[in-house]
Amino acid sequence: MIGFDFEYYRPKTLAEAVNFYHMLKERGKRPVYYSGGTELITMARLNQVIFGSVIDIKGIPDTWIYGYSEQDLIIGSSISLTDLEEDRDFPLLSQTAGRVADRTSRNKITIGGNICGKIIYREAVLPFLLADSRVLIAGRNGSRIVPISNIFEQEVQLAEDEWIVQFLTDRSILSLPFFTVKKRKLDVIDYPLLTLAAIKKDEHIRVAVSGLCAFPFRSEAIETILNNRSMPKELRIKEAVDRLPAPVLNDWIASAEYRRFVFQNTLMEMFTALEGDEK
Amino acid sequence: MYNIGRSMIRKDAIEKVTGTAKYTADLITADSLHAKLVTSPFAHALVKKIDISAASRITGVQAILTGKEAHTLTGEQIKDRPILAVDRVRYNGEPVAVVIADTLAIAKRAADLIKVSYTPLPVVHSPSQAYQEDAPLVHENLGQYEKIADVYPIPGTNICNVTKIRKGNMEQGWNASAVTAETKISFPPSDHCAIETRSVSAEVLPDGHIIIYSSSQVPFTIKKLFNNIFGIDQGRMTVHTPLVGGAYGGKSAVQLEFIAYLASRAVGGQKVQLTNSREEDFITSPVHIGLDAWVKLGADKNGILQAAEMIFLFDGGAYSDKAVDMSRAAATNCTGPYHIDNVRCDSLCLYTNHPYATSFRGFSHPELTLAIERTLEVLAEKLAMDPVELRGKNAIRPGNTSPTQVVLNESKIGNTRKCIERVAELIDWDEGDRIEVSPHVIRAKGISCFWKNSNIDTNAGSGAILTFNADGTVNLNCGVIEIGTGSRSVLAQIAAERLKIDAQQVFIKMDIDTSVTPEHWKTVASRGLWMAGRAVLAACDDAVCQLKDTASQALRVPREDLDISGGYVFVKNEPKRRLAFKELAYGYVYPNGNAVGGQVIGRGYYTLTGMTFLDPETGKGVPGPDWTVGAQAVEVEWNACDFTYRILRAATVIDAGTIINPELARGQVRGGMHMGLSFASREGFVFDKNGVVLNNQFRTYKVLRYGENPHYTVDFVVTPSRETAYGLRGIGEHAVIGMPAALANSLSRAAGVPLNQLPLTPELIWRAKSGDQV
Repeated sequence: MIGFDFEYYRPKTLAEAVNFYHMLKERGKRPVYYSGGTELITMARLNQVIFGSVIDIKGIPDTWIYGYSEQDLIIGSSISLTDLEEDRDFPLLSQTAGRVADRTSRNKITIGGNICGKIIYREAVLPFLLADSRVLIAGRNGSRIVPISNIFEQEVQLAEDEWIVQFLTDRSILSLPFFTVKKRKLDVIDYPLLTLAAIKKDEHIRVAVSGLCAFPFRSEAIETILNNRSMPKELRIKEAVDRLPAPVLNDWIASAEYRRFVFQNTLMEMFTALEGDEK
Repeated sequence: MYNIGRSMIRKDAIEKVTGTAKYTADLITADSLHAKLVTSPFAHALVKKIDISAASRITGVQAILTGKEAHTLTGEQIKDRPILAVDRVRYNGEPVAVVIADTLAIAKRAADLIKVSYTPLPVVHSPSQAYQEDAPLVHENLGQYEKIADVYPIPGTNICNVTKIRKGNMEQGWNASAVTAETKISFPPSDHCAIETRSVSAEVLPDGHIIIYSSSQVPFTIKKLFNNIFGIDQGRMTVHTPLVGGAYGGKSAVQLEFIAYLASRAVGGQKVQLTNSREEDFITSPVHIGLDAWVKLGADKNGILQAAEMIFLFDGGAYSDKAVDMSRAAATNCTGPYHIDNVRCDSLCLYTNHPYATSFRGFSHPELTLAIERTLEVLAEKLAMDPVELRGKNAIRPGNTSPTQVVLNESKIGNTRKCIERVAELIDWDEGDRIEVSPHVIRAKGISCFWKNSNIDTNAGSGAILTFNADGTVNLNCGVIEIGTGSRSVLAQIAAERLKIDAQQVFIKMDIDTSVTPEHWKTVASRGLWMAGRAVLAACDDAVCQLKDTASQALRVPREDLDISGGYVFVKNEPKRRLAFKELAYGYVYPNGNAVGGQVIGRGYYTLTGMTFLDPETGKGVPGPDWTVGAQAVEVEWNACDFTYRILRAATVIDAGTIINPELARGQVRGGMHMGLSFASREGFVFDKNGVVLNNQFRTYKVLRYGENPHYTVDFVVTPSRETAYGLRGIGEHAVIGMPAALANSLSRAAGVPLNQLPLTPELIWRAKSGDQV
């Protein structure tokens, strides 16, 4: 049970959503955008997040779009992870998103919510980072499309009234060879000890990781070293560990040392999957 | 036979599968007020100030209680626990205040507004630390607490109970040992994880009568404790227990009942409902005990055990509750089911700043068994002896004595050896206990034996009342709680068998009302069918006697010439001369209208006999009537590259005596195995450096899910007990007991490194393999 009162709004258009935000903010109603609700509800229950009003964006048709434009696969932010698991247009996304939480939760968790959430893993962002996807953002000055790397650095970096409406991914990326794996402490359903996703484009491997550090990331420095074919794989992996963008997590799931060990193993698995026996 | 050995569908099945079954929290009434706890965010701290002013101003708040109003000390063995914390909190999650309000939402909102200021104190993090002389004291006034006679705390320390076992002569034992093995094991406290969180309601009627509803294994104890603590006449109190949604020992502690009662009193007796959130159920209410243990075993060159010495340091947490009993129970069975002439055991229960412990399925036996069985593995290795052979050679038998020097017979001890032989067959032990499937994949097996008797009150007992409906069907009334085991249904089967009618003709309600239900001491210790089965038989015999009395008058034959079958009393020599139960159960009416006899009410009881307290210096004594024994095995597939593993299969062979309901019995055993594997592989609280629990939710505290389980094989050995109904034995807990050890043994064998801690995560194996040098 949530111990505080809040107001509920369900706008029908992008502009209405943003207007609600400003109106509620001005009235001191501490608004938050609301999508699947799995995180806001469970955290509000424990007062880990407190808000005065929620703006439920699921009433806006733009957030439900799923399909192709000439160039892109467009995924609305209200699409559930379960739906993405079953629509296999972007297999890397289907598999990565399909391992978040459990099925009952994935029925509710939306792609937008997972990526914009407070829980640090945000695993569904990894495929978009790898694909150099673009996002449609709604805000006070209307909507705009920007590369995801412009607005995702550790977490979503948007103005407080802005939110993600759609994810746009170039069709040519969808069918590239990929690798994705989630390593857990022990259980089949758990937060990641680490989740690693990779694609191979023009003989160049791109890698993104969640659960290893306190935020998901794709790192140019690590990709550079991993693609340095003049070095043996073992050495590339070892150097990649030295170039992590932040301290390795050390928590109840795993120690930092063990995470490093698993990361190295997982990189080797990735090489085997994407490069086979090639040197 | 009609009913014994038949897998009848349990009588609570339909309401449970249709979702109509009612549990305590479902019984909310329109006049119920709601209580919400405020709990401590610190593991050990002084409570400087509790500011309830903002909370009190919320409309709908009826009352707020703090330790000032609820400082009475409680505890079954040692009265060390205030109902709400006074001046000091001793564990993360301890109740500090309770809000009573019109709705749960209001109560929660007000609880959030109560401001408590704390001054943190040094934290005792483990029983080993608590045992050190310079450890901070969790209870400075231990010497002043009221306690029962057979518990032995040491004031000025954190030791709240000591049990000693002194059997034989240790010097002789070690001299006779060609080989010795030592092991240290440890694991943290964990939780029961019943699906139903603990829930109570309390109401004080205008005439002073107290009505409690509680999801409890011990409604009769609640009554006695209220009498003991608040001086309430037991007749002025009724405890109702409807279906209980899983208990596993965790609902044998009395805690929320006291809070709810004081809450109701604070609002003029109105009914107050108090149900744990999952987070509270994890840590505020009592937990599964932790343990640090050291064991040394000695054997001669043939592998015959000569000596055993052990120290158990149980993590009782902040308050003693049942943990003191558990530490004693561990001592009484400290060797596992092996014959050893020379035994020395010191079993200590320690106070720490962890959530406090209470009974957990197996009652300290899964815990001690890990220590013993891991040491046996080391011993087998040193002896270069097959672990199955070592166990078989030393398995305890009739004529041997237990650690508390009970002389055993077949009825008391069953047949451990047969269980070992059968489980070795089931797990294909002979094909090899360590097989390299591929360069990096290893399949390995591990085995463990177990035994357990009960360690309950020496005069514990059970009662039963049997009445008839006018159509000749039967109502059985007894005090065993339906905690999910199906025991009440099996008791109906036992009654039907004795009355020689179909079990469908015996009705048994699932809820308990202590004002009219005959007492069953507590629904714990696998003593439900054991004790109540005997009471039910006695009640049936009493009823049959009355039926025959009436029939002998109606049929004009001596009572001895009558027998019963299929709902009739008949003349043995002329079976066609017979009267139906329905013609007798309310007296027989002659054709002219005259009546003889009257309403048949069968009554029966059973009380344990021959139990004694333990000698405080040697532990000599009789803690329970018999042991259920068995052997278990696990097969794992372990990956040497990444240290992950899968549990492929698990097998249990248990000497269950006569099995009344085979499907329910197998279900109990499978459930026990599942729980044991879950506990051993992934459960356990994670504490931060301040003693705060980091995983008090199912998000972070993982249990083995259905579907992730290995294949379970269950088989039985049948050595009937000579003391119980139809020769049954208690099996409610036992399949948990050997699972942690069997899993640890299989993984240790797979990885080639001793694994002596729980939970057995891949990281733990990786650490052990890396020699902890990382």
